[in-house]
Amino acid sequence: MVDASNLVGQSVRRKEDVRLLTGHGQFVDDISLPGMLYAAVLRSPYPHARIRSVDVSGALRLDGVEAVITGDDAQQLGKPMAVTLDLFTKVPTIYPLAVNKVRYVGEPVAAVAATSREVAEDAVELIVVDYEPLPPIVSIEDAEQPTSLLYEEWGHNRQLDWQFQVGDVGSALAGADVVISEDFPHHRYTGVPLESRVCLADYRPGQGALTVWMSTQAPHQCRTLFAQSLGLPEHQITVIAPDVGGGFGTKLQINAELIPVLLSIKSGRPVKWTEDRYENLVSGVHTRDYVCHLEVGFRRDGTMTGVKASLVGNLGCDGTCDAAGTAALLVAAAYLPGPYHVPAFGVDVVGYVTNKAPYGAYRGYGKDIANYPMERLMEMAAEKLHIDPLELRRRNVIQPDEYPYQQISGPLYDSGDYPAMIAKAREVLDYENFRRQQDETRREGKYLGIGFAAMLEPSGAAVPNGIFNGYEPATVRMTPEGQFLVFTGNQDIGQGIETTLAQVAASQFGVSVDDVRVVFGDTNAVPYGLGSFSSRGATYAVSAVHRASVQLANKLKRIAANILEASAADLVFTQGAVEVAGVPSRRLTLQELGNKVYLWPGPYGTVPPGDDPDLQATETFMGPRVRWQPDEQGRINLYTTHPTGIYAAIVEVDPELGDVRLRRFVVIHDAGVIINPLIAEAQVVGGVVQGMGGALWEELRYDEEGQFLSGDLTSYLLPTAPEIPDVEVYHFVSPSPFTPLGTKGMGEGGTIPTPAAILNAVNDALRPLNVFLNDLPITPQKVRAALRQAGH
Amino acid sequence: MAEMEAADMVVIDTVVNGRPVHRTVSARRLLSDFLRYDLQLTGTHVGCEHGVCGACTVLLDGQPVRSCLTLAAQVSGHHITTIEGVAEMPALPAATTEERVRHLHPVQQAFWEEHGLQCGYCTPGFVLTTIALLEAHPDPSDEEIRETLSGNICRCTGYRNIIRAVHRAKELWQTAPSTEGR
Repeated sequence: MVDASNLVGQSVRRKEDVRLLTGHGQFVDDISLPGMLYAAVLRSPYPHARIRSVDVSGALRLDGVEAVITGDDAQQLGKPMAVTLDLFTKVPTIYPLAVNKVRYVGEPVAAVAATSREVAEDAVELIVVDYEPLPPIVSIEDAEQPTSLLYEEWGHNRQLDWQFQVGDVGSALAGADVVISEDFPHHRYTGVPLESRVCLADYRPGQGALTVWMSTQAPHQCRTLFAQSLGLPEHQITVIAPDVGGGFGTKLQINAELIPVLLSIKSGRPVKWTEDRYENLVSGVHTRDYVCHLEVGFRRDGTMTGVKASLVGNLGCDGTCDAAGTAALLVAAAYLPGPYHVPAFGVDVVGYVTNKAPYGAYRGYGKDIANYPMERLMEMAAEKLHIDPLELRRRNVIQPDEYPYQQISGPLYDSGDYPAMIAKAREVLDYENFRRQQDETRREGKYLGIGFAAMLEPSGAAVPNGIFNGYEPATVRMTPEGQFLVFTGNQDIGQGIETTLAQVAASQFGVSVDDVRVVFGDTNAVPYGLGSFSSRGATYAVSAVHRASVQLANKLKRIAANILEASAADLVFTQGAVEVAGVPSRRLTLQELGNKVYLWPGPYGTVPPGDDPDLQATETFMGPRVRWQPDEQGRINLYTTHPTGIYAAIVEVDPELGDVRLRRFVVIHDAGVIINPLIAEAQVVGGVVQGMGGALWEELRYDEEGQFLSGDLTSYLLPTAPEIPDVEVYHFVSPSPFTPLGTKGMGEGGTIPTPAAILNAVNDALRPLNVFLNDLPITPQKVRAALRQAGH
Repeated sequence: MAEMEAADMVVIDTVVNGRPVHRTVSARRLLSDFLRYDLQLTGTHVGCEHGVCGACTVLLDGQPVRSCLTLAAQVSGHHITTIEGVAEMPALPAATTEERVRHLHPVQQAFWEEHGLQCGYCTPGFVLTTIALLEAHPDPSDEEIRETLSGNICRCTGYRNIIRAVHRAKELWQTAPSTEGR
């Protein structure tokens, strides 16, 4: 048994597991309603085309088909898709089904609701669309020269165009001893949750009420987006997210879910849409896909003089309504200086729309974009300056006594100790010894390499103008029988909140996690909170639950003091009871307390004057240092906590096959106070392996004509058990001064630096062969091509 | 096409989780859909519908198969075990998580102890694949475990705790009484 006196910091085994281990979880596709229809979607085969006509008559003639909708219906039954997030962006007017033209392969054109999924899919085949193909915009270069426009009314293809400068970066680079400059391209990849998007919509015309069960990370914002996209009153809409089979950022929009909703409105019956894997890959949100030109000036001693960057994103058809990804480029811009002292900084950001799938969120949300170019460049600089790459970072990182640290680009960093983490990395890697070993094995024709990346993980976004605006309420309630309910807007997507939030609450009441039930995922039950994204749980939800628990604990003490004729200040919670400290005979079990307040005798005999019998408390956490009002240099701060880390990859490259093997992966990680080490470490490991996938295998490919080439899991390769080494994790604890428990979020840290660390390691391995790789994923073909080019 | 002729229907006689099942289904009914929608055994999850991810794994006469690549008609005359048939949960409510865990199959217990799952979507497939592995090889090496699990994709855990769970399951299984229903 775990000690219930303070559960924060204990590896409590998860409460949510038994239902998931026995097949008794409830995912959206597990739910059926009487009279339910099944949806199937007709998707565009063209990347860019005008729609001349859509003929659905064949589908309507099929027995079992109850409704067919097209872009015309989307316009008549709904409104343009609501904006998820608009920060300095151009926002298109678009609908969940294509109107007039299609803008990517896989864009929904029409949809069918029928009595079975088989019939619905048969019916989709009978819809005839007459397309007039238009020139496709696939690459950034295509988009720059707008021979063809995605949105004619814009007159260009730029969705985002933003510049920022602090200090004289031109002089800073001119005065440097060495300037390292490189273009860092990054390919398109994404989260691929094993449960794709699923949505069951039930519109009841008699009540004008809509209930939507959907696999989402953010039920409340979905409810608002449905209201705005449909013109329905929001209080008539309920969104329920039961068990969610992974999200990773990709379930933060309603573009696809509007289709079954429209079908339900049109048919008057419940409609379920279960996205298949092809649909998820071709139209589920995509991310990354950018080029960053980075220039960094250094003095001979390795200290930085300035950073200048130009970031150009390939956003696909949209990242503001269809999905919420465009602003990730701005997060990237704000965090390019990373964990380093940067005396002058300038950045240009441009995001182009192209004929690819929508640009959304995925684990990292721009923090990865900030990390990859800089951590790649640091290793290039180390080589050029003849300084060891860990030592070069040590000379530039923020020192532990400088926190809270005002970064030049706006963010305020809360805490950390990079020098100690670098020292730890040297130790656990047995670094000097590794370098000797590396030299020896090279002589045997074995190419080992080591690569590093410093990690900075802004956690808990508070971005203005949209659905990621950064606050979280929680309600904690005691039942008459003395157990507890935690109501949270945070969403369980596998990250363990049913256990960790229970630990936070249980610690205040001296009970076990089994005495606390975490209620989530129902907009009728829980306060309007923002869900799970941006590693915000341990920053926002935990802080709100902690404060609400403290407030309720104080109230319970006041009432118990009245009953026990003691002073509230003398009472403590222990072992499921509240008692006078040091006098165990004067105690009330929480069951006795709840019974007395609610039942025997009831409130008038138990509650002191000034209190009431409502045994619950609500608190809302806002980031205490978030600042949207720009300072004199135009800087804002959007994140509250900043986990830190040093990551190292050791790889072996086979020059004959071009194959990269991961030999070791070491993570030195600091996310402040950890609530549940077992769960926290698993978040890091899971994130690292997603980064490994992006570095080595995963890619959403398009050909030059805009055809999508990665529509199944034999062409989009996900990591499996044999390729993955045991990730080694070492924890540091630098408590955040900005959260009540010192916690920081930590869901994305693993994914952010891993691609840079791995490519750095590959380049380190191949350095004696004069090979420099700069493209992800690092496929055997690319390694062999580079080796051939270098004459090997 | 949707018009169903009588010839498109097939009668299947099978045993699912120890119980006889006699149904008439469409010849194109997938085993995964049959289990999920006709028998309401929704613990079998579908992740890719093309046989790569392994989430839909069930045991066919004790051997792991992809239920998304198997037709319901093919299992007539055979025994199917789904995740719901792995452990018998008691009818009486159990108050604590630990009490409930005690009723699980050793493989499920090991996944709980080692935190071998996060969102839980892939978990039924991993549990059933592991059971089949340990039935055939009570003491597999780390490499054999990884190779066996290479047909199952997990997006959350990064596999480390799943591998640990299988090692732990070996130990638990050797000391556990035989479990019914597998």
